[in-house]
Amino acid sequence: MRPQPKTDIVLGAGCIAASLAAIFLWIPPDTSSGLIETVRRQVSVGDALAPTAASAFVLAGGALLILRDSPTRADQRITLANLKYLLALLFMLATGFALMRWAGPIIAGIALEDGYRPQRNTVPWKYIGFFLGGSALVTSLISFVEGRVTLRSAVIGILSTLSMIAVYDLPFEDLLLPPNGDV
Amino acid sequence: MGVFDYIRLGVLAVFQGPEMFSVLGVPVSVTLAMILFGFLLGIAAGATPGLAGPVAMAISLPILISAFGFTPDALLPVMGFLIGVMKGATVGGAVPAILFNTPGTPDAFMTTLDGYPMARNGQAGKALRIAHFSSASGDTFSDVVLILCAPFLAILVEAYLDLPEKTALLILSLAFISSVIGTSVGKGLISMGLGLFAAYVGTGEDFYPRLSMGTQSLAEGFPVTTAVLGVLILGEVFKNIEDLWREQKSGARMEPLQQRGDQRLHRHEIGRLAPYIGRSALIGTAIGALPGIGSTLAATLGYTINRNRYRRSRSESDPEFGSGAPEGIAATEAANSSVSGANLIPVLSLGIPGNAAAVFLILAAESIGGFNPGPSVFTFTTDTVNPELVVAFGLFTAMMLANLLNWTIGGAFMRSMGVMIRVPKHILLPIVLLLTLTAIYVQETRMEAMWFAVAFGVLGYGMRRLGMSPLPFVIAFLLGGKLEETARQAFAATGGDPFFLVTSPVASAFVALSLAVIVFSLRSARKAKA
Repeated sequence: MRPQPKTDIVLGAGCIAASLAAIFLWIPPDTSSGLIETVRRQVSVGDALAPTAASAFVLAGGALLILRDSPTRADQRITLANLKYLLALLFMLATGFALMRWAGPIIAGIALEDGYRPQRNTVPWKYIGFFLGGSALVTSLISFVEGRVTLRSAVIGILSTLSMIAVYDLPFEDLLLPPNGDV
Repeated sequence: MGVFDYIRLGVLAVFQGPEMFSVLGVPVSVTLAMILFGFLLGIAAGATPGLAGPVAMAISLPILISAFGFTPDALLPVMGFLIGVMKGATVGGAVPAILFNTPGTPDAFMTTLDGYPMARNGQAGKALRIAHFSSASGDTFSDVVLILCAPFLAILVEAYLDLPEKTALLILSLAFISSVIGTSVGKGLISMGLGLFAAYVGTGEDFYPRLSMGTQSLAEGFPVTTAVLGVLILGEVFKNIEDLWREQKSGARMEPLQQRGDQRLHRHEIGRLAPYIGRSALIGTAIGALPGIGSTLAATLGYTINRNRYRRSRSESDPEFGSGAPEGIAATEAANSSVSGANLIPVLSLGIPGNAAAVFLILAAESIGGFNPGPSVFTFTTDTVNPELVVAFGLFTAMMLANLLNWTIGGAFMRSMGVMIRVPKHILLPIVLLLTLTAIYVQETRMEAMWFAVAFGVLGYGMRRLGMSPLPFVIAFLLGGKLEETARQAFAATGGDPFFLVTSPVASAFVALSLAVIVFSLRSARKAKA
């Protein structure tokens, strides 16, 4: 029998380790009932059983990957380049989210006496965070793929965010754009 | 109330809802209008590489729910729209596959094999007509099978399956889904186990929300939208953005296409294609009825079986499959389109979603309330009206209306959608990303939900990179709560019998089948790779 590829062994071992950690280290202290409970001589399923069974499926899958499964193709793996890309992507997302969450309150804190909260349902305050964060996110992602920052990508970022405001907020009074449900 | 009364009420619910507008004095109900809008949007989404039906459904859902509210009256317009998108996207996926050798949806990949060579030979219009005719035929056939089978299957399940059997059936479905999707059983099991585990965070029957690590963020569990949209949509977007980033350097260009000769589809050509369409429609419907096996497999199987038939009957002058044979397009499109209706058989009769589109239909039903897809829907009460059954027949009506639209305006609209290839993917994807995140926020109204979605998106990205299908994760996440609840009830009902899954013959058969399907898939996957 051919040995399993390294990717499968690493993934399988990782899944086995993670599921064992969940079964023995996470689930028991983080659930208030065990696998099976007996209350007044009534036997019932405890809260720990279902996640333990789920972890057992992950464990079984990991074991199969190491022992017997169909080998993974050589290109089906996560490389250092993939991780670098993810890091860059998460940085752009975090920047966009930070602008969404804090731009409105910071600007209102400077410009208004009573801050952002009383104004969170009024124009333009309710759009500031979403507009800046959304535009920054779309623009940065387009620029990332194109390998350069252009005026066109900024215009697309701004127009697409404005369109989303028009679609989600203008027709519906009860919908809240980020971050107005949090502040 | 008899069966025909329920059918009548279902049809009327679609036609007699609130009026949206009128055409020549004839009022058009809001459900009818939503089916039309959904269908047109679906074709456009299917014709746009990188968008596809599930993305359009994900983005539309919060807007639709906000527009129609959380009342049972919203069910038919919202689900009618989603059904329209589902059907439209199936047809639309063939457009870029034929015109630009780029499948709009993954299941249209096989269409490129014969569609693009035909287009390069100046027969683009004819290829699109064949794709549309085959797709509409397969879809209609599959819907008829759905309408005939789903109620009977549901009645059988409700009549003969008790709690232990229902638990075993859910286990069988999950085992089946994790084993047959993708090429690796181990990865399928991991994906399914992770989905179940995520579903159990912050839930449970005790006062303390389990697996919450004492935090308020996890105590409420992961919202369904964050997990489903994160893994299915964001994971795909993250992967595609990276692919584009890397491809950007290659700078491939497409050649413009010229059309030559007769582009119409004649009766004698339809007669020649009919056996191929018929065989593929049967294959697609049979495959679609099994949860988890997608339209891609149906298309592959339909194509392969029809190719073998074609080899035996073709004359010397006919092109081979793979080099511009109209029969190849017909075989693929009829097979992948006939999956969409049949995929709703397990949804409506068992409450088990079989593909991404079905996931969104269940998500809509769960979000709105008043309709719980599953065997209880088909309870034919005689003294009172079962509103869920009326909705079910309303959905069947919506599907047939979407087919009618497909047969009438679908072809012309589809052929006009070639322009969608011009939408640059690297501009579209960031917009889809922001749209999805916004859709999640307007439903959950907390930034935390967006972070959860991003985390699930990273998980979905990782799964795709490792060749692990995210669909078992999503389906297990949706079914996790139901599986635990049924198992708890079955355990209690059998007086705490730990062997409740193997005491009745039907339940034991389901459990044995679950093990058999895993073992069989393991063996066949190894053989295929050897």
